[in-house]
Amino acid sequence: MTAARKAPPWEAGFSALMFVFMYLPILVLAVFSFNTSRFARWEGFTLNWYSRLLQREDLLGALRNSLVVAISAVAVAIVLGTLMAVGLARFRFPGKALYRGMSYLPLVVPDISIAVATLVFFAAVGFARSILTIIVAHVVFCLSYVAVVVSSRLSGLNPHLEEAALDLGATPAQAFVKVLLPQLLPGILSGALLAFVLSMDDFLIASFTAGVGSATLPMQIYASIRSGVTPDINALSVVLILASALLAGVAEFVRHIGDQGQAG
Amino acid sequence: MSAPTLSPPAPAYPTRRLPNWLEPMVLLAPGGLWLAVFLVAPVGIILLLSLAPDIKPDDFNRLAEIGLGPGNYLNVFSPIYLLVIWRSLLLAFNSALLCLLIGFPVAYWIAVHIPKRWQNLVLLAFVLPLWTSSLLRTYAWITILRPSGVLNSLLGVLGLPAVQLLNSYTAVLIGVTYSFLPYMVLVLYASVEKLDRRLLEAAADLGANATQTFWRVTVPQTLPGIAAGSLLVFITSLGDFINPDLLGGTSGLTVARLIQNQFLGATRNWGFGSALSMVLILGVAIGIALLLKYGDRKAADI
Amino acid sequence: MSPFNMRRRRFIQNSGFFLTGISLSACGFAGGSNSSQSPSTPEATSTAASTAGGTLSLYAWADYVNPEVAQAFTQQTSIKITSDTYDSNEVLLAKIQAGGGAGYSVIYPSDYMVKQMIDLGLLEPLDKSKLSAVYDGLADNFKSLYYDPDNTYSIPSTWGTTGIAYNSKELKSAPTDFESLWQLRDQIKGRLTLLDDVREVLGMSLKSLGYSYNAKDPAQIKQAYDKLRELKPAVATFTSYDWRDQMLSGDLLVSQAYSGDALQVAKENPDLKYVVPAGGCTLWNDTVALLKTAPNKEAAYAWINFSMEPENSAKITEAILFGNPLKTVEPLLPDEIKNNPGWAVPPELLAKTEKLEPLDDATQKIYDDYWTQLKSA
Repeated sequence: MTAARKAPPWEAGFSALMFVFMYLPILVLAVFSFNTSRFARWEGFTLNWYSRLLQREDLLGALRNSLVVAISAVAVAIVLGTLMAVGLARFRFPGKALYRGMSYLPLVVPDISIAVATLVFFAAVGFARSILTIIVAHVVFCLSYVAVVVSSRLSGLNPHLEEAALDLGATPAQAFVKVLLPQLLPGILSGALLAFVLSMDDFLIASFTAGVGSATLPMQIYASIRSGVTPDINALSVVLILASALLAGVAEFVRHIGDQGQAG
Repeated sequence: MSAPTLSPPAPAYPTRRLPNWLEPMVLLAPGGLWLAVFLVAPVGIILLLSLAPDIKPDDFNRLAEIGLGPGNYLNVFSPIYLLVIWRSLLLAFNSALLCLLIGFPVAYWIAVHIPKRWQNLVLLAFVLPLWTSSLLRTYAWITILRPSGVLNSLLGVLGLPAVQLLNSYTAVLIGVTYSFLPYMVLVLYASVEKLDRRLLEAAADLGANATQTFWRVTVPQTLPGIAAGSLLVFITSLGDFINPDLLGGTSGLTVARLIQNQFLGATRNWGFGSALSMVLILGVAIGIALLLKYGDRKAADI
Repeated sequence: MSPFNMRRRRFIQNSGFFLTGISLSACGFAGGSNSSQSPSTPEATSTAASTAGGTLSLYAWADYVNPEVAQAFTQQTSIKITSDTYDSNEVLLAKIQAGGGAGYSVIYPSDYMVKQMIDLGLLEPLDKSKLSAVYDGLADNFKSLYYDPDNTYSIPSTWGTTGIAYNSKELKSAPTDFESLWQLRDQIKGRLTLLDDVREVLGMSLKSLGYSYNAKDPAQIKQAYDKLRELKPAVATFTSYDWRDQMLSGDLLVSQAYSGDALQVAKENPDLKYVVPAGGCTLWNDTVALLKTAPNKEAAYAWINFSMEPENSAKITEAILFGNPLKTVEPLLPDEIKNNPGWAVPPELLAKTEKLEPLDDATQKIYDDYWTQLKSA
């Protein structure tokens, strides 16, 4: 037995402790979502906050807005991002490095700077703020994430399949849709999922680009925290965490399928 | 990455029936235009605004009158705002360091000691909180750290004195570290997993003890991962708004909060806010350039 | 190609890229200034009103839009109400100017902000014939206020003071004045909040130094800032609303607070008290006003009339516990409100209060700079 194989007990213990650290805040939210008292003192069990959550029209409306934003932005981003990734893999052209650099920009420029720039841009061109402006701003970073994930999938693909299709008389469009797209699908899906989660979670960019009546869920949660919290926010977190766990499960499943596809 | 050249598009498909320029245009133009119009142009505008001293939104029409000058940047580098920048850098550095110290043992444990078939699941379980709303996770820390919160109740039960952590730098550091630890573990795991086990065994066979093996074999081999993970956490913390805003109270004014104040807060100094944004972008760009340079050297070494 | 050359080429391309950015932005500004130079033409407003359909958007201080009253309004008129909240006048102005407020119709700016917004051309003159009942109901002392002498652009909706909320059970000596905050600062360290409001915070310090809330002398403002720096270590955070919950849970001991908010908290927990500072504080009134860009102006008039009908207005006052400028409302209020010294401020204290006035640009910049510095330090 070599030293490298045997786990020192402190390592497993420390890791276990860190798992507790990761889940402690979530556990606290969950526990207090069933607390009769509004404050952080346990006074008894209740489901009240969950039924109150269903009456919080501001939160439900904001959830609807968030879903509209995330789904629309991801839909646009899937198309633009996939085209971009394929184009980058296929062509060499003057200024390609610059173009590639630009496609990475949303991943490296801090959110606050993107938010500020977009706000000033919309103000300068006199574009009225609405849910549409949030979608436009979200497409920017969603498309980058989709492009990056699809690119990494593309690099592992066999280019000869598409060439074969072209040789057999398929048009480039047919070859793209029938041959390349199915192979890219797992990459597109996991890119889309990542973009979806990031869009649902974005507070800064949305709050800088939102118009009247288009507050997203994070904006409404922030406003609730700022104006004094009620435990229906705790209840909301439990619901959202369960939904995310489900989504994460789906993502892992998609990745699993993707890995098998790649291996085969 | 390929250097820009003037060569024609790669002749990948001999049976082309469409004009040569059409396909690249269809593939590359839509996304490129979107980014150029909604990201590059806006950044260009704030670059311009950052050169208009103390411009406010109602001064837009008087841009020519105000004229351009370095006033906003001089203001950014006055002692009081240098302090804010310093505090942000320190926060980013400390959280990257903390994430590394905590994240490495966890990533190592998952990659080396967990059976292969369970690794993905354990990793997923560790980063699962990342999928929940970051605002709600930070809000949970308010519940824990507030004076009447969970932590003090716990300390009270144990007979220990209460601590005042909410609205402090420590609270922000806890929040930021908690928020970005999963990223660090993900990046480090990818790096440790690629570690050549035979080298570890060889080192052990040659009589190296665990500490020597760690410093001489493991660390050098995972250095790219360590650098990438630390930089990722550093950059993300540098631009973080939520944690300093909700947990920091009066002690946590960071660059991101200062920028937000100039646009949606009371001060409405768009010129100063733009200058701060440009400085932040520049700071991040320098960080990435350093990593690329470092990465290149690393590649040259091997 | 040598790496050096490559880098150089990239650099040149990069600078080209930024130049295009700037020229694009220059076009943008031309467009922006054009559109802001032609404020809402009649055609534009009418199309906006028709597309807004049956919703009316309000931008108000927290709790100003009473859910019960809004629901009754929707039932009567089938106009849906949506509302967002802001926590300082400056944030209201920032949001409107940043363009994110273009869809709001009705806003609730305070006195000095009304003046500032009139000067910036943001407010729509009100059609008094549509609001005659409201105008007739105003108490006499709200009919000729300095910021809008004939109430052409705004109607006073609430008034109040900015004082101190505190926990009387845990504090050995009760604060009586803003000066008390400095005296108590070791005892309340980390358990004090100030409003997130530049004028109120700097003004409070100015007042306790014996100067005016509207001081224009840079030396006086600096002195006030220096004094606040001494208090800063005791301050947990700057917040306009967040403090209420924290005070109820026992996390905070003292907060600078708007009267109504503090009285609401005191109603929930009798240990918590509100005091109007003996040395003087601000006496402010909020107003209801119409944005020039407002969609759905008819609905806005309907809302102003409805929410300021005496019964509805009394209902709102009972909930938020701010003063009410309508003389028609007072008879409808319960005695417990009317006898509360925090609500009906005694004349000797009222005499010491001051109203905030708008500052000239140069002075405003001094205030803003110190405010940013105070938050940064």
